[in-house]
Amino acid sequence: MSVDIYKINPEFRDIMPKDIIDLEDNATWGVEKRGISDLTDKKELLEEHSLCAGCPESAALRYILTALPKPEDTIIVNSTGCTSLMFPHIALHTVHSLFGNQNAVASGIKRALEWRFPDKVKDVVVLAGDGATIDIGLDYTLQSFFRQEKITTICFDNEVYANTGGQESGSTPKGQVFKMAPKGKVFDKVRMWELAVTSGCQYSVKLTASAPKSVAKVVREAIFIARELGPTYIHLYTPCILEIGLSASEGLWEMKEQDKDRFVSFKYVSDEAAAYLKELKKIRSSIMSRDTSMAKDSIKIRMPALGGQGAVTAAHIAATAADTEGYYAVSNPFFGAEKRMAPSESYTRLATVPIFDRGGSYIS
Amino acid sequence: MSIKDMTKEKNWSGQKLVSTDYLLFEAPREKHFMTGSEVTKEAIKRCTVDASVSYPITPQSEAAHLIGELWAEGYVGMYFRGENEFGVMSEVAGCAMAGARTVTTTSGPGTLRAMENFPMWSGTRIPVQLILMARGINSPLTIQPDNLEVTFMLETGCMIWYAENVQELFDMIIAGFTVAEMPDVHVPIVTVVDGFFVSHTRESVMLPADDIALMPYDPYRAPLPPIDSEMPPGRFLRDPFVMKSNYISYATHASWQWEVRSAVDRSIPYARHFLKGLVHTSGDQDAEVVFVACGTASHQAKEANRELTKLGIKSKVVKLRTIRPFPHAELLEATKSAKYIFVPEFNIVGWLDKEVTQSLYGKSEAKIIGRPRVAGGMSMPVEAILHEVLEHINEEKGA
Amino acid sequence: MANLGPAYYAPYPVATYDGLLTPPEGKALLLTDIVDEEVAMREVARVMLTSENATIFPGPQVLYAWSDEAKKKATLIKEMSEVLNAKMIPMYDYRPKYPKIDPEVEINPNHPNLTIWHNNIKAAIFIGVHCHYANVALKIVRAETDCYTVGMCALSGHEDAMATIRDQHSEDLARFIEIAKEVKQELGK
Repeated sequence: MSVDIYKINPEFRDIMPKDIIDLEDNATWGVEKRGISDLTDKKELLEEHSLCAGCPESAALRYILTALPKPEDTIIVNSTGCTSLMFPHIALHTVHSLFGNQNAVASGIKRALEWRFPDKVKDVVVLAGDGATIDIGLDYTLQSFFRQEKITTICFDNEVYANTGGQESGSTPKGQVFKMAPKGKVFDKVRMWELAVTSGCQYSVKLTASAPKSVAKVVREAIFIARELGPTYIHLYTPCILEIGLSASEGLWEMKEQDKDRFVSFKYVSDEAAAYLKELKKIRSSIMSRDTSMAKDSIKIRMPALGGQGAVTAAHIAATAADTEGYYAVSNPFFGAEKRMAPSESYTRLATVPIFDRGGSYIS
Repeated sequence: MSIKDMTKEKNWSGQKLVSTDYLLFEAPREKHFMTGSEVTKEAIKRCTVDASVSYPITPQSEAAHLIGELWAEGYVGMYFRGENEFGVMSEVAGCAMAGARTVTTTSGPGTLRAMENFPMWSGTRIPVQLILMARGINSPLTIQPDNLEVTFMLETGCMIWYAENVQELFDMIIAGFTVAEMPDVHVPIVTVVDGFFVSHTRESVMLPADDIALMPYDPYRAPLPPIDSEMPPGRFLRDPFVMKSNYISYATHASWQWEVRSAVDRSIPYARHFLKGLVHTSGDQDAEVVFVACGTASHQAKEANRELTKLGIKSKVVKLRTIRPFPHAELLEATKSAKYIFVPEFNIVGWLDKEVTQSLYGKSEAKIIGRPRVAGGMSMPVEAILHEVLEHINEEKGA
Repeated sequence: MANLGPAYYAPYPVATYDGLLTPPEGKALLLTDIVDEEVAMREVARVMLTSENATIFPGPQVLYAWSDEAKKKATLIKEMSEVLNAKMIPMYDYRPKYPKIDPEVEINPNHPNLTIWHNNIKAAIFIGVHCHYANVALKIVRAETDCYTVGMCALSGHEDAMATIRDQHSEDLARFIEIAKEVKQELGK
């Protein structure tokens, strides 16, 4: 029944707004193969939001939503903070209850759904900021790991209490001056990704949101492992550009810088989870076979950009030039709801044979 | 055991599904002798409960682990021990939002630790049943019967019912799920008893057979969609920020809060039916001396009524079964003969006295006396009540 | 206060202030009176047929094809709008919408008054809206507008509407449509 809740009765189609009709017609429900490339030509699950222009959190959430393996049966539990400004606009069943109790609420939901729907997979994902995950809600985060709750916890670490106006959090790096740390933070950044491992997570990954494909891959793996084995944790750097004095165009740059520093990749996979992923890969390789049958004699160009109109234009110019010269060409951009200076990408495909492939050229 | 074992006639543990009226009023009953904690188990056993989460510290009773036994015996669908009171009340919220009939227990200090959850429960319209076995709050620490914590629960938007004894606790738990789950009510129900005086007190109780149970909860009749991805709208956040920003009106939050209070009010006709009245009166109907009490204090008032009768003084006991909704109309009617209204209580702040005084303000000419008050686990001897009554009556007579 | 017309400033609830509650089973609530269902149906049809810009606000429970009952109701509501000469404006979800709604084509429970003001709606039926959100919206509408609101509810009804008919399943809607046709003929509309 889950997908049916998005189907509009024909009697009302003419009075429904386009974004709701698009959700039924053009979002990816119930298909095994969905991912980042959907951002280009499929209806996104995040309709719009009110975050600051260029906020990396909004991009990260979009990557996560495209990566959910079974969105029509996914519940996301949130906590108070910037993220909760986006939550009303997610086209899924989601919860905001209090600050810091998200893993407790998610535990209850997951267990109740397992009881009520014994034959159905219902994924429960927690998505909250570092204050909710690591400071005020730490008890509930860790206890859900101890209890081996089958949920995926994603922490949007912006290293600060952003929504309340820029106060130090446990996740703030040592020495950083924020409100409530006027002389600089005196203790080290809490290493939550390691705590996750020692607290029983089957899978713990630290990364930035600089590479959409990496984020999506990790999210899928984490959800699959949580379904079968136990808690999984993703620690994702989504800087608060406002609080660290960056412009709307500098979020991606900041994440790329931190890919080499505080957010240098960390990945723990339990033996059991590793074996399970291997098994999963075998099953999925047949499903993903579309990628290997792509047109040969072709070039794919990916252009990441900020704000992005330049990249969009460049992609179109390249494609138009190739088309003029008699080649097959396709170009398309992908950008979000931000008004300006958000991470965006454009793709050009050039070939000597007809091109059927559309969307993001991440999978190669 | 699986929910798949449930049919139209029987629940997953094989109990025959019956109506609340049958279970409460029609099914043959047999006499048992048990404590409040044990009867809690017996009530929940007959309620087709999906989920319970518990913690060990401040349930003043063994009720929480007895519910665990029900799970092990196959009566309760899902059960686990949570980390602490705040966490458990959030876990319980998760269960209920996901469409499960859910119960847990608490008492004094843990209730305060969990406090932030209760207005969230009512705001998100979950019909959780919280069995509160009152034991007072720190500091200093007490585990004795003192119901100070109830004053903190009054404005959480939850229904609050108060059971006097083991029998009433049993019946209230069953009625509690039924009323709380009514689509136009659908707010949490806090079923209160005094610790020790009920939780640990063994007395006779009449119970229906345990091979019958309440109809299961239907989450699709709730006033909000359950969080299970099975009911539209597919885009649904429970519960969103509705504070003033660039896209929303202040009125939503105001209306939302009023709606929760209205929901509690809508429980009145249902509670009248299933509890056989929001108040229960005993003694002389036209007495000038009236006791207004709930829980154990009404038991003690009934003893005082007996002693006063021997002294030739007429008195009446008005026992309040519901505190939220507060039975304003019933209280006014039941106290219209009163010249003196005594409100005996097991706490120092006199929360019931304040409620009674406020309710009768401008409507009753009776003198309202918030005495006697005992606390910290003290008992309330009949003599203490008699002393207050005689002192006030005699004072009035110029003695 | 459960009477027609702006209730003044705040979304005060009639349950708390006037002691009006949802009607008992088998009955309906018309302003402050508990009446037979058919009496309410006739009055609702009359008001809808004689008010300016009468509108039906279908909610998620009937807009989406998630159950057989929802599919049946969709057909009936469409027919109802034709019989009542009423427009339909959907309340398709309950989110606080960003950056703003288009009051011409949608209604949102968080500020339902905007849609009613914009379209000068003098009578409206809420149907298929989850009870909590219907109640939140109805209080705001009553506080802010002079719209005659009708809660056509599959469950227990809505005392904050001017008229509420409870337990309305598809067969009841079919009956209402027949009554509305009669009223329409009587009125010569």
